[in-house]
Amino acid sequence: MTDRSDVVGTVAGPGDDPNEFVFVTPSDKSIKTGEFITYTVSVEGEPRSVFARVTNRELIRGLPEGFLADPEVGPETVAATLGVPTDDTELYRLTATVIGYYDTNMTTFANPRQLPDPGTPLSIAPHQQLETVLPNLGCETDSTDVTTLDGVAHIGWLLNRPAEATNLHIPIEEFASTHLAILASTGSGKSYTASVLIEEMMRPSSRASLLVFDPHGEYDTLAEMQGEEAFQGADGYEPSIEYYDPERLRVRISELEIGDVMAILDNPSNRMQERLSTAWRAMQRQESRTWGIDELIAEMERIYGDDDASVGALEWRLRRSIERNDLFHPEENVPLDEIVDPGQCTVLQMDTLDQWDQQLITTVLLRRMYRERLDDVRDRDSDIEHPIFALFEEGHRFAPASGEAPSLGIMRTITSEGRKFGFGLGIISQRPSKIDQDVLSQCGTQISMQIKNPNDQDAIKNSVEAAGEDVLRELPGLTPGQAVVSGDAMNTPALIQVRQRRTPHGAGSRPVIEEWREAYDERQREPTQSESADFAEGDSTGVQSLD
Amino acid sequence: MHRSTTRRQYGDEAMTDTLADGDSPDLDSCVRIGSIVSSNSHLDYVAEVYKERDCDRPPELHEREFGQPVFIKKTVDGTEHAVMGVIYDTQLVDPDQGRTGPRLAQDDQAQFTPGYIEERTTLAGVALLGTAEIAEDGTIQEPTHQMPRWTLEVEDTVFHCPDQVTVSFHTVDDQIQLAYMDRLLDIAGDLGSEVIVALIDRLRGMLPEDDPNQRVLDVVEQNVQWQAREQRGMV
Ligand SMILES: Nc1ncnc2c1ncn2[C@@H]1O[C@H](COP(=O)(O)OP(=O)(O)O)[C@@H](O)[C@H]1O
Ligand SMILES: [Mg+2]
Repeated sequence: MTDRSDVVGTVAGPGDDPNEFVFVTPSDKSIKTGEFITYTVSVEGEPRSVFARVTNRELIRGLPEGFLADPEVGPETVAATLGVPTDDTELYRLTATVIGYYDTNMTTFANPRQLPDPGTPLSIAPHQQLETVLPNLGCETDSTDVTTLDGVAHIGWLLNRPAEATNLHIPIEEFASTHLAILASTGSGKSYTASVLIEEMMRPSSRASLLVFDPHGEYDTLAEMQGEEAFQGADGYEPSIEYYDPERLRVRISELEIGDVMAILDNPSNRMQERLSTAWRAMQRQESRTWGIDELIAEMERIYGDDDASVGALEWRLRRSIERNDLFHPEENVPLDEIVDPGQCTVLQMDTLDQWDQQLITTVLLRRMYRERLDDVRDRDSDIEHPIFALFEEGHRFAPASGEAPSLGIMRTITSEGRKFGFGLGIISQRPSKIDQDVLSQCGTQISMQIKNPNDQDAIKNSVEAAGEDVLRELPGLTPGQAVVSGDAMNTPALIQVRQRRTPHGAGSRPVIEEWREAYDERQREPTQSESADFAEGDSTGVQSLD
Repeated sequence: MHRSTTRRQYGDEAMTDTLADGDSPDLDSCVRIGSIVSSNSHLDYVAEVYKERDCDRPPELHEREFGQPVFIKKTVDGTEHAVMGVIYDTQLVDPDQGRTGPRLAQDDQAQFTPGYIEERTTLAGVALLGTAEIAEDGTIQEPTHQMPRWTLEVEDTVFHCPDQVTVSFHTVDDQIQLAYMDRLLDIAGDLGSEVIVALIDRLRGMLPEDDPNQRVLDVVEQNVQWQAREQRGMV
């Protein structure tokens, strides 16, 4: 029945768990943990390929450990001395967990509810089959050329296989509508992976409408997509990458909610709160949306009289916290039609704003966009008539577990309701344990990379149902660019190597040594002040060294 | 009897102490230790040690001690070979005590089951280790630790193996070898680890002190000792 030439091992018997079995392989069939293997069973009379994931590997026969007694004498030398053959001596016992067979009607895995019999031959699962069944692509056969599908993101390939051998294309629609989390320690490749996804989403076959909230200026190189042939469509499409610098990031005062204002003002008294709420509501009922602090204070004085002590105290606080902050403006705001458009990726550069201002601008923008999406879906006039996807670097700042951010409420709303309105969020964070649990658990697709901190590992475990223990075990050992992809975009989690970017990566750490040396050389070239005083032509060099 | 005449015939030849002789050992002039009297299996022989009246120069006690490498000459297909062996056990026989002649083995783990012996004598158990060709110049070549295919004969002479030959036999491609080890452990039974340790000790003494093979021998010895202790339930 089975051609034994591609057989890599033989089933020995059931394992500890109901879904586990044990098999044996010789050493030359080197199978790593995490590898996908397959065997055939008959399901209702039809032969089906069942997939299983290798979870453990142990040596059951090999050179005795006594041969390792002297570190300077190799075990193979001892073996040669004793005439023990060293080829093919090793025998491995591996444990595998059944994933299931690909049910073409359900387009996902179905459990055969029966372990393979002892003696069943096992093969390495073929590339194309895995490419079809691992991600949630809804294919109607179990072996499709997934590169021809629209709306898929080529994110990388299976880590256990050679580079680019078994490629993973994940469905963009899935992670863009049911939200995405990219979680890993600093330097593990979060921004890199996000950029890979942005590249994929901006290709002619997807033409996404993207927003990147970038507090560190890590996305400056995406612009190089423009002019690249790989991103150009036959109809003349080319992605447009817009940078929105901090000077253009404005919050129109009337767009703040009373809760935001309370948070901005430093600890107002109960009486102040009461006066401010009344006046704020009165202002919001007005026709005009372009009022400022002056108008607000005039309204308070109208209601409470112009010698009210609380109004006086409020005026002082409002002028200090809102009027003197350039972020707030009576009229100006960020025009939504400038920042969202199909085929456009807008990077909101927030690196010079303090964290508080970052949270406020984010809060207000998210609210406005959410309102527009709601209007669009409910057939009302809307400025945003297409789905949007917003990515957040430092996601824990905007949806903190501590609750201390004005943006938390709208983030919760969008992650729980956004899928109905075509508003997806991507949360990137190096501190998963500091992200609000509601927000994190609503992120349907997860890309987890190296994480060592046990609290953060627990946070992933608790919120990421789809990733099984065996996959999470891998997290501490991953190196930059290696990731576990799990959740809605996948039929089963997979360990991958994220592909290389087409655009250069802009978030590398600075070449510190190089910069020190350059700065030092620069210094050496400049004559010092005391030297210049010693020479006749001194007066001009003295000025130079000041800049 | 027949056997003793044969012995005398060998005893007529001149004999040199090769150990004292130094450089190139002459396989023809090695000390004769004894002659084969029986076998327990294809690899397990019994030799009767020569006494004063069997030859001109019977082996001295230290020349036929436990762990002494030996060889037996065999001409196969016109080429002279040395069948290499080691003394892994000894036994004294006094026919007057047993009258009907002893069966030396005490149980069915038979090691010595020599035939009828008339006089007081010392028997040595010789386990075969491998073979080598004897070259024109008297040195050995092409040593192999594979199981020897040929059988020895009753009355074959067992020679004392000089150190240089022992080293040559244990050196394959500059690498020390004791590939017969598992077979020897099997034949030598309870004394298996001791005979191997004795062989290793000898080899260590024969190799230069800075020879990298010294450390390999250490590891092998450790392994054998450890296994023996494990088998005896010590650890
Ligand atoms: N898929 C990848 N391929 C190649 N290099 C990568 C990959 N992912 C990350 N790297 C390397 O790791 C570095 C850190 O990645 P980055 O995305 O900036 O980390 P993070 O955002 O998690 O702090 C990058 O500068 C890059 O050199
Ligand atoms: Mg980063």
